[in-house]
Amino acid sequence: MFRHTPLRYAALIILFSGAVFTAFTAGYFGMEILTEILILAILVLALDLVAGFGGMVSLAHGALMGLGAYAFVALATKGGLDPLVAAAAAIAITAGTGWVIGAICARSHGIYFIMATLAFGQMGYSYFFERPFFGGDDGMVGPGRFDLSFIGVDLNDGRSFALFCLALLGLVYLIAVATLRSGLGRSLTGVMHNEKRMRALGLTVWRVKADVFGISGAMAGLAGVLAAQHILFISPNLLHWTVSGEALVVVILGGLGTLVGPLIGAVAFVVLKHELSHVTTYWHLIVGLVLIAVVMSRANGIFGFIEARFGPRTDRLIQSIQTRDDAKEAVKDA
Amino acid sequence: MLETRNLDKSFGAVHVTRNVSLKLERGERRVILGPNGAGKTTLFNQLVGEITPDKGQILLAGEDVTNLPVARRARRGLSRSYQKNTLFDGLTVEENLELAASVHAGVAMTLWRDALQSPKVRAIVEEVAEQVNLMPHIHAKVSEISYGVRRQLEVGVALATKPLVLLMDEPTSGVGPEMAKGFHDLLAGLPRDLTLLIIEHDMDLAFAVADTITVLNYGEVVFDGLPEEARGSKLLRDIYLGAWEDA
Amino acid sequence: MTPDLGFWTLQTLNALQLSMLLFLLSIGLTVIFGLMHFVNLAHGALYALGAYFAATIASTAGFWVALLVAPLGVAIVGMALYGGLISRMRKSGPMAQVLVTFGLIFVLLDLTRIIWGDLALAINTPAALSGRVEIFGTGYPAYRLFIIALGAAIFSALALILSRTQIGAMIRAGVDNDAMAACMGINVERLFFIVFCVGCALAGLAGAVAAPLLSVTPGMGLEILIPTLIVIVIGGLGSLKGAIAGSLIYGFVQTFGAVLLPGIASILIYALLAAVLLLKPVGLFPAKG
Repeated sequence: MFRHTPLRYAALIILFSGAVFTAFTAGYFGMEILTEILILAILVLALDLVAGFGGMVSLAHGALMGLGAYAFVALATKGGLDPLVAAAAAIAITAGTGWVIGAICARSHGIYFIMATLAFGQMGYSYFFERPFFGGDDGMVGPGRFDLSFIGVDLNDGRSFALFCLALLGLVYLIAVATLRSGLGRSLTGVMHNEKRMRALGLTVWRVKADVFGISGAMAGLAGVLAAQHILFISPNLLHWTVSGEALVVVILGGLGTLVGPLIGAVAFVVLKHELSHVTTYWHLIVGLVLIAVVMSRANGIFGFIEARFGPRTDRLIQSIQTRDDAKEAVKDA
Repeated sequence: MLETRNLDKSFGAVHVTRNVSLKLERGERRVILGPNGAGKTTLFNQLVGEITPDKGQILLAGEDVTNLPVARRARRGLSRSYQKNTLFDGLTVEENLELAASVHAGVAMTLWRDALQSPKVRAIVEEVAEQVNLMPHIHAKVSEISYGVRRQLEVGVALATKPLVLLMDEPTSGVGPEMAKGFHDLLAGLPRDLTLLIIEHDMDLAFAVADTITVLNYGEVVFDGLPEEARGSKLLRDIYLGAWEDA
Repeated sequence: MTPDLGFWTLQTLNALQLSMLLFLLSIGLTVIFGLMHFVNLAHGALYALGAYFAATIASTAGFWVALLVAPLGVAIVGMALYGGLISRMRKSGPMAQVLVTFGLIFVLLDLTRIIWGDLALAINTPAALSGRVEIFGTGYPAYRLFIIALGAAIFSALALILSRTQIGAMIRAGVDNDAMAACMGINVERLFFIVFCVGCALAGLAGAVAAPLLSVTPGMGLEILIPTLIVIVIGGLGSLKGAIAGSLIYGFVQTFGAVLLPGIASILIYALLAAVLLLKPVGLFPAKG
């Protein structure tokens, strides 16, 4: 079951401060990279929720993100809805689609689950690729950034937009934690550990999977809306299965089932990609080698490695501080 | 409370359950005996819905549940423990019980309330932990407790759904004689209105706890009656007790 | 367009040709999975490698030499992969295997780019097969017929090997129950190695025969991967019957979908896959019940 260890709090604080610091110091290019990281982070949190805590390794999450982007852009530009309303509707659509995919795939396991989600994802990709209404393979131009002037924020400013994404990422993280701590999240953990027993205890397993997949789908949809807002243009490539594959790589690089790890993975992946693409056009080669090394090392990603290495030590440290404090208080009481 | 009518099941050419009719009254404690391969566990699997019978009916509290899925039968009050431990291995004893209790308490699907903090869940967890004597291990992970304690937890998880009928598949399988005696005490501590159907290998234990005895052989009910009668039955001695006494 | 005999003949042959190409790819992947429970996403990259080997060899030694040597080259690469990576990942979960082979896709993709560049390579059909053959009054490229014949020949050979030879019996035993097979004295590790290499060689062969039809690009392995996976999942993992059935279903649905229902053709096959998984969650002809 998900718990915040001292190490996880520390990592969160470092990541958050790093993001805020970058937002206030970086130039145009750095701000773009930061925003890219923040949006990817939302997507990989969504994926970690289902894959890391429910054993549902999804290759449909890129498509759910893309669906969110397309629904948002189409509703705002062709449907004439206010962009904020369109965004809310797009998130609701991806939540519903996620729920249906989760419900249908609930009976499949392992490679079959992966393939089933892949099928749904590619179905979406082909659909948007071929539909002239949605611009086909040319994609679509999105509406301008949200008008948040009523709270005095201008999202056309790169820094404001990055901070806006950071705030939403924080919100998504809190929702993920709340979900995992709720009755639903506990049941999901039970299902991942022993699906048969949960069923024998009276749990409607497919509903649990579908509900969590729906929540995860909403998060992926939000990532899609933000992606459309970020570059103001969308194409079917957002839905391609390799996007889901890369998101999975990020989750694994960071540490599956830790929530914090995938955030670190997102930073590492985007920075690595940009730094390497300056040096060589063959950055995929290096990412591939890193991925193979990480998986073969049998550590649970970067954060899993840190936890295994330093987790017990920090826990002991905290414990010794606590017992010291307790002792002090005992002395005081006496 | 629990009734089967002419239950029948074959796997290909193997007839594993033949025309089995059982009737358990509320609060009855029945032990199922039978040699290995007699179809005892297969019968359990049909009762809880993990296997669909070819023919016949299953009634729980007077209602036909033959075609209900596993989870819905469980919610109607049918719970089981497994012969082979089927626990949540990475979690603690307490969390194992909580998961089961949260389903019964109706908080297994909620988004806003923490299932752990629901007073109903807490009450069930504490009660069951007392009943199956798990209090000393409550915060230990399943991987850290001994096999015998895991067997207790196996029953505890099944109990935490607050069932009307509890099916126990060889609760003492693989544990030593002391543990088996402990299990006898555990049963004595369970509420008398809980209907129990127990597959048991330990003959002494079976006769000590059973109100009634059913003997299965080749998937067929060959004896159904009181323990005293079972002891005296020649048929039973031939197919089962004889073999057991020889061993 | 009024569908007449010529239309049906042409499209049926196109469907068969696509099916046979997919069969060459999927049979290796599915038997490797059935036997070793190993999901090799890099199978498509090996196919691309086969095409590149063939393109390089054909330009100097001619097509027929390339057709023989390219699969051998890919098999050697497969051996290296097996020794370096696959055998170590055998005991890991499917997730780890999927990811390692996903990483391998990246690596092989960029390696082909480094060695052969980003531009597409072309390779000519061999002179002997460059003409057309008249079938029911319709001219059809001889080379495509050759692919159909090759696929059918390989299928027959594999069916014979699996049902009649000792190694075939060992493979069937291993797919059925590998622990049992090991107990019966079968050298399971050696069996895995042989099957893996043969699977790689067949992927290389597929790449080599596809090379004259398509342009040889670094991305071709990634493009073929999804159809191959769909084939083996629809067919059911681990079985020859599943691989051929899945290939035929994919080939015909894709080909006829494109000409008869152009609006929904690309969605059709995914919808079919979803439907199969919903009704038969382990595919149509899985090796294990």
